[in-house]
Amino acid sequence: MTLPLSIDQITAHYGTTKVLEDLSLTVGDGELVSLLGASGCGKTTTLRLVAGFLQPTSGAIRLGDKDLTRLPAHGRDIGLVFQNYALFPHLSVKNNVAFGLKQRKLASGERDKRALEMLDRVGLAHLADRLPGELSGGQKQRVALARALVIEPPLLMFDEPLSNLDAKLRVDMRVEIRQLQRANGTTALYVTHDQEEAFSISDRVAIMNSGRIMQLDTPETLYQRPANKFVAHFVGFENLIDLQVTARDGEMVHAQTHDGGKITLSQERLGAIPDAFVLATRPDGLVVTNDASATGLPATLGMRTYLGRAYQYQCQTGAGQLIANGSLATPFESGAQVTLVPNPDQCAILQPE
Amino acid sequence: MATRIHPLLILMTIVVYIFLIGPLIIIFGASVSDTTFLAFPPQGLTLHWFENIWEISAFRRTIVTSFQVALLGTAMALLIGIPAAYALNRHRIQLPGWLSTLFVLPILIPEIVIGFSLLRSINVGLGVPVFFALLIGHTLLVLPYVIRVISASLASFDFSIEEAAISLGSRPVKTFFTIVLPNVRSGILAAFILAFITSINDVSVSLFLTGPGISTLPIQILAHVEQFFDPTIASVSVLLMMLTIIVMIIVERTLGLTAVTK
Amino acid sequence: MLSTPATLAISLFLIIPVAATISVTFSEPEGLFVPYSAFFDSAFQRTVLWRTFEVAAIATVVSVVFGLLTAYVVSRCPPWMKSVLIVLAVFPLLTGVVVRSFAWLIILGRNGILNNFLQWIGAIERPLSMLYTQTSVIVALIYIFVPLMILVLIGVLENIPDDLLQASSSLGASPTATFFQVVLPLAVPGLIVGAVLVFTASFTSYATPHLLGGSRQMMMGTFLHQRAMTSFDWVSASTVAAIMVVVIVTTVLVMTRLARRLNPMAS
Repeated sequence: MTLPLSIDQITAHYGTTKVLEDLSLTVGDGELVSLLGASGCGKTTTLRLVAGFLQPTSGAIRLGDKDLTRLPAHGRDIGLVFQNYALFPHLSVKNNVAFGLKQRKLASGERDKRALEMLDRVGLAHLADRLPGELSGGQKQRVALARALVIEPPLLMFDEPLSNLDAKLRVDMRVEIRQLQRANGTTALYVTHDQEEAFSISDRVAIMNSGRIMQLDTPETLYQRPANKFVAHFVGFENLIDLQVTARDGEMVHAQTHDGGKITLSQERLGAIPDAFVLATRPDGLVVTNDASATGLPATLGMRTYLGRAYQYQCQTGAGQLIANGSLATPFESGAQVTLVPNPDQCAILQPE
Repeated sequence: MATRIHPLLILMTIVVYIFLIGPLIIIFGASVSDTTFLAFPPQGLTLHWFENIWEISAFRRTIVTSFQVALLGTAMALLIGIPAAYALNRHRIQLPGWLSTLFVLPILIPEIVIGFSLLRSINVGLGVPVFFALLIGHTLLVLPYVIRVISASLASFDFSIEEAAISLGSRPVKTFFTIVLPNVRSGILAAFILAFITSINDVSVSLFLTGPGISTLPIQILAHVEQFFDPTIASVSVLLMMLTIIVMIIVERTLGLTAVTK
Repeated sequence: MLSTPATLAISLFLIIPVAATISVTFSEPEGLFVPYSAFFDSAFQRTVLWRTFEVAAIATVVSVVFGLLTAYVVSRCPPWMKSVLIVLAVFPLLTGVVVRSFAWLIILGRNGILNNFLQWIGAIERPLSMLYTQTSVIVALIYIFVPLMILVLIGVLENIPDDLLQASSSLGASPTATFFQVVLPLAVPGLIVGAVLVFTASFTSYATPHLLGGSRQMMMGTFLHQRAMTSFDWVSASTVAAIMVVVIVTTVLVMTRLARRLNPMAS
């Protein structure tokens, strides 16, 4: 059995500090939604509210038809995977996995059978009698996962489950987590500060900042069509340029910066462009050229750094300091006068804020 | 974390704390009673029994002796304990393993056995005067506390600071006094306070190390109770509790009281 | 060598004198173990030893139980209340053993508060003699050691990561189940350390059995003093001292080894 989670207008405080404001979020049946953001953005607080370790000041949390808001943590029936595994150090691997079943008053034979089955699924049946202290980080996290899954919870929650593992293992584990979650069809809420991890594992991602969800969308939409400056910057649109439309020519739009830098964009690629807008580009979205006839922003190049696949330039323009990547084939010296031409594949249009 | 605690547990905790604090309040009440026997609640109020402390010369003498022994014993323990704690933390690898075991021996051996053995060997055997035997006993008594508290303080000291100072041209001995000691100041203060209060309250070591004219306050209290059952003892106890309160205020002001539980 | 003065002090003033005390008991002309057979042949002396064991064991068990439950409540309290409760436990701990034992003299005496109270409510007609009983010594020892136990165990409980308690409740364990299945097993090593502290201190105590047990409830500490200073039988006193050392050293070694073995968080 698996159920949708709905968080409805939650506000929460630590003491007198407001840490979440009017937050609403729905995780569909069988869906995996990530909460992504820097530390202090409220993602872990949200998870702890759902788990029942914190009480919201106002708002409601529901799992299916059941109102969880005032239920004690041990009555919520949620599988939880912790950042530092939180395995019981005095219990064997098998008894760690069987712990939740014991609380559900299953007979010991049945408990052991189910625990071993679940350990088999995560590939650790051979370590059933070890103590957690004897396991590696990856093995510990598999045990933690088995322990959360074996109680067949309608909702699984992960609190930065991979951040204590090394890079290679992290990639393997996130695939494994995704497979197990898919196979069981369990609704899941996943907290992480790692963008790649969130995007690779999730159906939808909520990008959070100072206690609010800035945008909740599929990874593709977030990556290509950020809704605001914060999200745009978060997903790598490092240049935010304020522009004003000066002329429209069919699908072609001519715009300029406040100091007169000119840019031409096609609405075919970028969608409708309002009269005042912000052009967000990644460093790869600004082509550096010394072709004097090109339409773009005039810039003076500053420091050049080598990225391996390209050179990166700090560019001084009338619209402020911008970052652009240039090809390895035609390096420019610092101080060169160039033109920056936007590449629509790496651009997004934002409303001015 | 908002865990609900069972009401019965809360009730038990309240009872335990009444059990802990109640008797001390009773002593306070008894010390101001105007009866000639120990009574609580006090019948009428008087401070006579506090004056009485000063009128009994044995109390006057032992209070002075207790303070002398506590201060000198603690000072000696710090003098030999600080270098030992430094050596244990700085050069642990070079030092033999039995050394740290040696330093916990004074805790392991029952205090009353230490006191009795010092009486036999030092006082009677070697003819060392009682006061010095008492001083030696108290130094031993508090030495493990001094070493343990200062070790804990040094354990969180970053010895690369000391190396930085030496690399900048400071001589090792000077570095110890100008760099290491100031950084474990709070540890030394905590060790001093803990040692002082342990020494002032000690019975078991002092028990055998008293002689004509030389005794400590707790031993004098025991002797007085055997003969008189009047409120003087309650008022002496109140003075000792006030000393405890003063010590706790000093600790709170300088270290914070959480330091005590560590 | 920086550790030389401390090493010398302990060797000269602790190891040699204590070794001398113990060696006296093996130097009797009549035979090697004569002082010990004399000790164990005497029904009175066996009673003293057994009583000391019994009193120390009961005081330890009761202190551990109440210390643990109180420490559990204190460690779950909001921070300001926790500090107040810790201060209220530190205060009696820093107040001397003599003062704290003396308090029970006032409470349990023939004209003490407890007798007065019981007479006032009409539970008894004439005062009970509660002093100089085994119970009075045990009660006072519990009184003396509960604060120590509370403070030791608050430290132990605070060392248990919050995550484990949260994991336990997320898996459906009620607070009671969490206490018995997670908190208690993880606290066992600390409990043993605290219990050893209380047992050894009770076993070797002097002031409390002296004030509240008197000569009727002689324990090893008071008996050692009586042998040495009233009977002036130093060989007998040394024998008592040696037995105390053996009991304490054995207890500490066995129990700390056990605590280390039972510590799952060590690995």
